[in-house]
Amino acid sequence: MNDSLADLARLISIGTALIQQDGILLDERRWDEWLELFLPDCTFWAPMWGDETGINEQTDNALSHFFYESRKGLEDRLVRVRSGKSPASTPLPRTAHLISNIAAVGTATVDKMTLRATWVCHVLFVRSRTQHVFFGRSEYKLEPASAGWRIRSKKIILQNDDIPSMLDIYCL
Amino acid sequence: MRFVDTSALVDDRPHQGVFRVHRDVFADAALFELEMENVFGRTWAFLGTESQVAKPNDFITAWIGRTPILVARDGAGKLAAFLNICPHKGTQLAHAEQGNAKYHVCAYHGWGFDPAGKNVDIKDRAAACYPPAFEAQNHDLVPIARVTAYGGLIFGSLSPEVPTLDDYLGELKPFIDMAMQQGPHGMEVVRGRVCYTYRGNWKLQMENAMDQYHLTSVHASYMSVMDKRRQGEGHTDAHQFDWNKRVLQQSGMFNFSHGHSVTWINQAEVEKRPIYPVMDEIRSRVGAVKADWMLKAKIALIFPNFQIADGTTLNLRTFRPISVGLTEMRLHCIAPIGEDPALRRWRLRQFEDFFGASGFASPDDAACFEAAQRGYAARPYDWLQGYSRGITSLRDGADEHAAQLGIRPVASLAGDFDLNCETTLHSPYREWARLMSGRSSGENELQS
Repeated sequence: MNDSLADLARLISIGTALIQQDGILLDERRWDEWLELFLPDCTFWAPMWGDETGINEQTDNALSHFFYESRKGLEDRLVRVRSGKSPASTPLPRTAHLISNIAAVGTATVDKMTLRATWVCHVLFVRSRTQHVFFGRSEYKLEPASAGWRIRSKKIILQNDDIPSMLDIYCL
Repeated sequence: MRFVDTSALVDDRPHQGVFRVHRDVFADAALFELEMENVFGRTWAFLGTESQVAKPNDFITAWIGRTPILVARDGAGKLAAFLNICPHKGTQLAHAEQGNAKYHVCAYHGWGFDPAGKNVDIKDRAAACYPPAFEAQNHDLVPIARVTAYGGLIFGSLSPEVPTLDDYLGELKPFIDMAMQQGPHGMEVVRGRVCYTYRGNWKLQMENAMDQYHLTSVHASYMSVMDKRRQGEGHTDAHQFDWNKRVLQQSGMFNFSHGHSVTWINQAEVEKRPIYPVMDEIRSRVGAVKADWMLKAKIALIFPNFQIADGTTLNLRTFRPISVGLTEMRLHCIAPIGEDPALRRWRLRQFEDFFGASGFASPDDAACFEAAQRGYAARPYDWLQGYSRGITSLRDGADEHAAQLGIRPVASLAGDFDLNCETTLHSPYREWARLMSGRSSGENELQS
């Protein structure tokens, strides 16, 4: 393997580890560390399906499950998660994220990379003793920062949008 | 059609200040089946907005109870509604939630229909050796008994014996106007499929929106988020309402005939409404009173399963019964056609923040619905106690707020937010009892 191929493989490996941390930290409820994966001025976007045939492709005039143009939206979600006052979140649902089919979109460089992934999130809603599986695919834009690579943007497509009551930030 | 003795299900004795509902109303599967016939089969149901079927050959699919409905505008611009089934073998015909189609062709055996419901093709008809009896049958789509629009909202009924839509909506019509007249060019549905289910009876959602009493307990976590936003931190793009101010406001309700009711709260932070920057135009078009009421927080229940919710961000909401313990929620975020792009973004961020399965509010309501549905299995336990708040404050007819609006409700009530009345539920359960027991309209004139 020549140097540039090894470099590329190392980059993808770093990116892969980062997006796997996204799922791991959520499952382990290490909320502050999870938040730190995202740059403060990140974009977090889970568009809604417009109808059965197409996912919404913009946010100016179409709805999203989540659309935040900074990390502040994620911080607010964690306020609710930690409040202990949300009936739907008490006890907190348990999750297991499986993130796979990771591949680079375009060329990864030392300055940035875009990775796509297929994700499955198993959720046990403890309060109702019911289970659900959310699944879909994501696209992450990653950048190096002072403490390591970070998430510049995460776009999530939820494939199964018939939702049993709750879709919280740790279900994606 | 079978009726039941509802005296054992809705205990309505106004002279004794008693109103109770039996737990079976939410949990008995046999009553649920009767509801499909007696309630959903004999009322008007919201089917969609006229903006969703604006052009020739546009269609939407909807439900009345568990009956699938096809609403289509034909080539000449006429609106019609049918059972969404092929008359050949009863197969569901149109599958898309909305679209445009010159013909609807059944996937099963290829029978084709135009948007006026006329059967235009029976596959291989010439070779079929059909008997005269078949040829004499009507093979068109089955029209539903009534379909009419008011204010840009399309309603339908499976029964020809319902009052006219105008009579059915009655004195509640101004509350439809308050929603549908917010835009100078009409209202449209913002693209986005807001759909989720909860494991509970459809009437749990019916009650919840008309019940302010739950706000500070169920949505306490939302109020925690607002504590942070009050400091200017967090997702302030949502322009979200601070309920610390809301709970200090005056609020009230109206009961109407045919099972409808309205709950209202004065709006503490009118400037957070996406229509606030264009109030001058609205005021010049609808007048000061209606314009001011547009800014108030209010929810209208149009019995049985349609709400116009305008407490946070305006939306239309149906809660579709699937089984006694399973309901599907659908929300339409409606907005003025031609709305300024910045106001549209404001509206959407505010809506997303609060509503739907990913919002801060709905999941907590649903968790309580599911807990209620589980609780209904408890024995011995029969009469629920949740319908008494406000009884001694109710007055017949119009109060000053109704008079200001020029409406004549059956009953009114107003007071501090903490009153948190439950009397908004008297109207729907009275109508429920009337329909389930088979009493005629004339016998519904119970005292409020």
